[in-house]
Amino acid sequence: MKDLNEMSQTDQESAVDVLKMQARGVDVFYGAGGRTGSAAGMAADLAADKNVTHAIKGVDVDIADKTVTAFIGPSGCGKSTFLRVLNRMNDTIEGCRVTGKVTLEGEDIYDPNVDPVQLRAKVGMVFQKPNPFPKSIFDNVAYGPRIHGLSSNKADLADIVERSLRRAAIWNEVKDRLDAPGTGLSGGQQQRLCIARAVATSPEVLLMDEPCSSLDPIATAQVEELIDDLRSRYSVVIVTHSMQQAARVSQKTAFFHLGNLVEFGDTDKIFTNPSDPRTESYITGRIG
Amino acid sequence: MSDVTQKAPKRSLFAPDARTQKRNRAEKRFQYYGMAAVGVGIFALIVLLTSILGSGLSSFRQTYISFPVDLLAERIDPEGNRNPAEMAAVTTFGYMPLLAMSFQAHLEAEGIEHEMGARELAAMLSDDAPAQIRDRVLANPDLVGTTIDVQILVGGRIDGFFKGRVTMASAERDRNVSPAQLVLAQVLADRGDVVTRFNWDFITAPDASGQRPEAAGLGVAIIGSFYMMLVVLALAPPIGVAASIYLEEFAAKNRFTDLIEVNISNLAAVPSIVFGILGLAVFINFMEFNQSSPLVGGLVLTLMTLPTIIITTRASLRAVPPSIRQAALGLGASRMQSVFHHVLPLAMPGILTGTIIGLAQALGETAPLLLIGMVAFVREYPDLMSTHSNSFPLMGDGATALPVQVYSWTQRADPAFVERASGAIIVLLVFLVVMNAIAILLRRRFERRW
Repeated sequence: MKDLNEMSQTDQESAVDVLKMQARGVDVFYGAGGRTGSAAGMAADLAADKNVTHAIKGVDVDIADKTVTAFIGPSGCGKSTFLRVLNRMNDTIEGCRVTGKVTLEGEDIYDPNVDPVQLRAKVGMVFQKPNPFPKSIFDNVAYGPRIHGLSSNKADLADIVERSLRRAAIWNEVKDRLDAPGTGLSGGQQQRLCIARAVATSPEVLLMDEPCSSLDPIATAQVEELIDDLRSRYSVVIVTHSMQQAARVSQKTAFFHLGNLVEFGDTDKIFTNPSDPRTESYITGRIG
Repeated sequence: MSDVTQKAPKRSLFAPDARTQKRNRAEKRFQYYGMAAVGVGIFALIVLLTSILGSGLSSFRQTYISFPVDLLAERIDPEGNRNPAEMAAVTTFGYMPLLAMSFQAHLEAEGIEHEMGARELAAMLSDDAPAQIRDRVLANPDLVGTTIDVQILVGGRIDGFFKGRVTMASAERDRNVSPAQLVLAQVLADRGDVVTRFNWDFITAPDASGQRPEAAGLGVAIIGSFYMMLVVLALAPPIGVAASIYLEEFAAKNRFTDLIEVNISNLAAVPSIVFGILGLAVFINFMEFNQSSPLVGGLVLTLMTLPTIIITTRASLRAVPPSIRQAALGLGASRMQSVFHHVLPLAMPGILTGTIIGLAQALGETAPLLLIGMVAFVREYPDLMSTHSNSFPLMGDGATALPVQVYSWTQRADPAFVERASGAIIVLLVFLVVMNAIAILLRRRFERRW
């Protein structure tokens, strides 16, 4: 069923879409301890272990360039976990093991030679709760370019900061107080500041983990508008609890349930004519 | 409406029911308990401060007597060539009669009557006074043969008379002082020859023997404590913070790190004297460092301070919200960058507080220092680089420390040392208050919102 969906989707849109990231057979386990071993053997081993939580079960997803992909599903279905698979933020969680293959432009991001630090510069992330650094607005945005050496001088850096803040649609609100603390902004502004911070490193993919969940409707509308703008430059992956939001901002939608990818396809199709009964139940509010 | 009133009788908001009254009483009671507890604390503090200030403040003032002294050349420069090297052969015992004679001559010249013999008269002056005169003469040989006006210390008992410690009644029973001496002292004080004034020597001078409490000072102890604090400051914070960062941010959570954590918590509760035994065994017996050297003292205090610093540092690192770390990691910062750019600055106030509390604790610690031989009577200021044997800084000279000085003064027989010990406690408390004030200032300075 899943494969069929993917096939039809790629057939229809291959002319438009350029593949950015690809996940094949991804499994995520929590509580795996320090276990190591061959990937294939370990997955079976961990799946059999009762003490290990099998959070993601054999998920295949294609993330297209210049597209907004939404992950939806009930709480605890693994959508945020899968999002963190894409920039290896799961590495920072104790006892978390990821198996399977994830590629960014054809390169396996879980290859032992890959430095996750470099990966995360290419795959930026915006978190659920706005988490600006307790520094000035300027320093917040300038932090990424600074540590990655993206600017050669001060003027250059100021340029990057302005461009990023403009892209995050917050420049006009903060241009006169770049030295003010980022934590002093309102919630919606903080979240857009975090987006500006994420785009300042010129990522190729932008991951957003429920970016609007702590924002009011006005700020949400602003961020959604922004996501639509960002699509012109980046590949955006957004996790959301709000189906309306997924329908509004995304072109592709993946529905997760109990760690399985139930359905993945064009947003229009998922919301109007889902092929899996579980998807239909969820979007009509019967499960979740 | 009528149904509701039938089921539960309407209660006025103005009349609290029994349950509410009971709860309010309990709340009031608890407030009183709290106030009583705070009251006990404040009372204890007031008692402590009044007793220490009451008996210690007077040690900052000392009684001096002034009269002209004839520096008879034949007594102090028998060779007659004004050569300081040869004049040094005349010890303080040679100067004592000079002072006594001059004092007696001064009283006769001024027509002050007394009924005391020469010995009793001389006993009014401090035993330390001849040494002071001798130092002056050796520093400036031209004084020999002249008459100089000097202001010298009076004996501890006479000093005690002006501070209210010694009275006529107590002098009757005291072998060391007579009422006649006190009467004369009072006469001289009325003339202005005997004055009680602020005494810098208490802070700068070295310790003095048990017979001359009036000359005892804290200089050596303060320098010893300062050197040890230097060692602690140089070693404890870097080691402690590095260990905490590693344990908190990098180390895997497993049995081994759990074991380390439990042990650190236990070490923080280990009595400090145990660290003294450790220092004795490791630094003095095994590594053969000089005993009672500031370096050994500092090392022992460092070991004692480390658990405090590690525990407070880890707590303040843990208090930094994980979202900050995630934000940094999500931007492609390495773990070290996320710690040093974001986590550590946010944890700084807590780390500084812990460090300064640890240092203050180390400054006031006595027991471990006793075990490594720091309780010795030290009159020489310790040097950073010793002139004696060892070439390593802070290793050659023996030293003592402020709290140890308090301890050894309380062991002495002369009641004047009670005043000295209280004065030393005041100095120690002042240092502690200053350190805590610095801690608060630094915390304010580094405090940020997130």
